[in-house]
Formats: sequence, structure tokens, C-alpha cells
Amino acid sequence: MGKLTIGCFSSLVGSMSLDFAVKLAGAAVEKGHKVDFWVSGNATMLSIKGQRAFKDYSALQKPLQELMGKGLTITACEACAEARGYHKDITMEGFKRHSMDWYLASTFDADRVLHIGGE
Amino acid sequence: MKLAVFVSDYRLNVDTLDRLKAEKLGIILVQNGVYHATVKEKGAASPLLGKSANYYALIDDLETRGLGNADIDGNVKVVGYGDIVDLIFNEYDKTAWL
Repeated sequence: MGKLTIGCFSSLVGSMSLDFAVKLAGAAVEKGHKVDFWVSGNATMLSIKGQRAFKDYSALQKPLQELMGKGLTITACEACAEARGYHKDITMEGFKRHSMDWYLASTFDADRVLHIGGE
Repeated sequence: MKLAVFVSDYRLNVDTLDRLKAEKLGIILVQNGVYHATVKEKGAASPLLGKSANYYALIDDLETRGLGNADIDGNVKVVGYGDIVDLIFNEYDKTAWL
């Protein structure tokens, strides 16, 4: 088994790339890999708690919480989040917040890195 | 270098890929990129399929778009998320996202 670091600089919740990144992280966790997941920019919206799930609409909170329970580490860029008014008190439990150093450090000891570019 | 390139868009112009040099190249079609595996223009397959590379398309994104095995170019292998994880770890060592 190995370590995969995913960096996702996608658009808001509802972005195909964000959906893809969460599903890929899930598949890697299921296969026993360690996964670090970093979100930056508008993707930090993922960290907000209390987002409601509607049919045929991207709803990632529940799958993310399940994956965190299986060992996924997910971190939002603190500056990006704060710049968008996503403060600590509305952040999903278990969702870490750090500066970009965290992402860089994670990539340095990862076996594989997937950086999903901005939209 | 063994490089896996994720192509996530159909309108992508191909020259970005032309500039990527790899001893082994894998092109993984995801999101709207899966149309490269199915759409023919004037009877010809997408120019993206003309490289010496291994081609893969994500089944979830094909099915979301109402596409299936019958629609896909013969050179493209249909994969799931678990397969992509295995490809990343076992077949390639670097990734790129286009």
C-alpha cells in the first residue's frame, strides 16, 4: 500500500472535479492506501458543515465523513476559506484547516500526487 | 517517466499533450473528456486518440452521459475508480491533470 496526496483546486460544490476527487479518494482508501486530500480556492466550500443533500445534486458531506472515519485526512486552505467567509465555527467536524505548507509537506512524502487544477 | 494524464474536457486542444514527453504515457479520460472516446467528427475519431499511449475512460462518467461499451473506440479501455487507483500506483509514477 502507499500514500496518495490529492490537491483539488476546483470550483464550488457541484464541480465535477470535486466530485471526481472525493470518489477517487474513496476508492484509494477502500484499497488500503493512505490518502491526504487538500482543497484550495472555491473548493474550500467543501469544508462547510450543514450542507443539505438533495436528489440529483452533489452532496459530499456524508461520504466525506464516512471516509474520514476510515482514515482519510482532509484539509482546507485556511486563507482561502477565511477569504470566503468560511470560518472555523461553520467548518465540518474532522475537516482540518492549515496553510499551504501542509499540502507541500504532504506531497513530499507521498508515493503519488494528483493535482487537480483550478476551474 | 511513466506519466498518467487525466483529460477532463472535450474542447481541449491537443497541443498540450504533444508537449508532454514520457517513456510510457497513459491517457485517462474523465468527465467530459470521455467524449474523446466516443465522438467522431466527419467520420474520424478524436485526434487525441492518435498518440502512442494507453487509453482509459471512466465508466461512471460514460454512463452519466448515456454512453456505454458499444459507443467507445476500440483502443480505449473502460475503467472504474478502483482501477484508476491501481493505474496510478502500479502502472505510472507521475500524474497530470488537463
